[in-house]
Amino acid sequence: MSNTMSSSDNQDESRLNVLVIDDNEQITKMISSFLDLSNHDCTVVNDGKEGMELIKTKAFDSIVLDLAMPEFDGYEILDTLQKEDSSQLSKIIVLTASNVPIETVRKFKELGISSCLQKPVDIDQLLLKITSVAT
Amino acid sequence: MIKIKQALFLIFGITSFIIFYIGFLNYITTQDESVGLVILISSAIVSIGTLIATFYISNNITKPIELLAKRMNEFSKNNFIVKKSLDDKGIQELKILNENFEDMAKKVGGALEKEKLLNANLQEMDIRKTEFMSMISHELKTPIMPIMGYLQMLKKEEIMGKLNEKQLDALNEITISTEKLQKLIHDVLTAQKIDLGQLSVEKDIVEAKTLVENSYKAFYPICENKDVKLIMILKTSEMVYSDVDRISQVFSNLISNALAFVPEKNGVIEIGTRDNSDNVTFFVRDNGVGIPENMQKNIFKKFYQVDTSSKRKKDGSGLGLSICEGIVRKLGGRMWVESTINQGSTFFFDLPKAKIPVETFKHLKNSNRLRETIS
Repeated sequence: MSNTMSSSDNQDESRLNVLVIDDNEQITKMISSFLDLSNHDCTVVNDGKEGMELIKTKAFDSIVLDLAMPEFDGYEILDTLQKEDSSQLSKIIVLTASNVPIETVRKFKELGISSCLQKPVDIDQLLLKITSVAT
Repeated sequence: MIKIKQALFLIFGITSFIIFYIGFLNYITTQDESVGLVILISSAIVSIGTLIATFYISNNITKPIELLAKRMNEFSKNNFIVKKSLDDKGIQELKILNENFEDMAKKVGGALEKEKLLNANLQEMDIRKTEFMSMISHELKTPIMPIMGYLQMLKKEEIMGKLNEKQLDALNEITISTEKLQKLIHDVLTAQKIDLGQLSVEKDIVEAKTLVENSYKAFYPICENKDVKLIMILKTSEMVYSDVDRISQVFSNLISNALAFVPEKNGVIEIGTRDNSDNVTFFVRDNGVGIPENMQKNIFKKFYQVDTSSKRKKDGSGLGLSICEGIVRKLGGRMWVESTINQGSTFFFDLPKAKIPVETFKHLKNSNRLRETIS
């Protein structure tokens, strides 16, 4: 279930192409409508496997990734990327409601993952991270 | 060490020998040979009889005792013994002893088995509790995210359009309640982590005054809004081992508490540092109602409220101070309070000094080698 929510054909330089992977539909809907209203393109998937496929097939400026998801979770996506396409890791912003131990956060940093944000996150801060990853 | 069997044979052996010896002496010294022979034969019979009796008695005493010892050993190894019926020929007291031990072992064994089961249950419950808490943590935080997100979006005129004043008022009220809920969830989870010993802290080297200044800056506007004077008193430029985020959580809890208890007019809150030889003491002082002495020792306990009446002015979960104490303890410091009724309270906590001169620190800060970690 993926739907691209680009609202215009505006080829603006500052317009970013963002992928959001989270099994919670309320959260993905909120983030995508915020990004849309802030003039960015947002692709949403509520399933880890689909997210993995999209990362492989399409180019995104920034990827917002939830950790706890049924079946194929965020850790598995990070593992796969580390093995197959580690250059993508720098585009990842981890967004999670789980307790992430300090050691794991450090591991993320070593892998080059830009940031690990705790839900609920300030949406302005999220947008700031998305922009800083993309540029 | 001597065995019962040996002791019995020694005693009765010597006795029978003496009896026989007396008979023998009597036989060689007596005038009347036939009387002497009778005495000799009867003394021989008595001593042989004694030896046979000794053999019989010793077997009857030692066998049940050996059995008892063996079964006690078996019980202490397995908490369980196999039931054995003794025949009626033996010594009655020893038979009773064996039976009583069997009864006792059965009861104790049962109790131990029950306790084992109970322990296993408790362990499982503990694991379940931890799993439940981590699940709840996730499930409580997740729905807050879209609520806060949409609230933030609604306040953005440029993307959601202009709201009228009544709508903005309603929005602000929702925001305040949501933030309270968010803080409560955060507090419950932090308290839970402290309980489980799972609270993780960074031990960075930080200037003591930075920790105070950060909180001063964060709370100055809030205090000004409430007409409360916030004063900063810095008496050291030492470095301490600390976790910047956790310590701002501590200051935030302490200052929020102080704000709730200062008088409506002329409220004063002082925050600052004091230098000691091994550590730096931080404090938050208010000129509020104070805490009765008999309650001071309890206020760092979880869910403890000084005023538990339904009319109490301050709301809160009673978790704030226990969290502060837990964080400070994890950072290697301790926390305490001094207070006088109607004059105010001062909350103190200390943090260990980092043995490193400020100049080196400035150098290190650039090379980014400062981080020290504890688990």
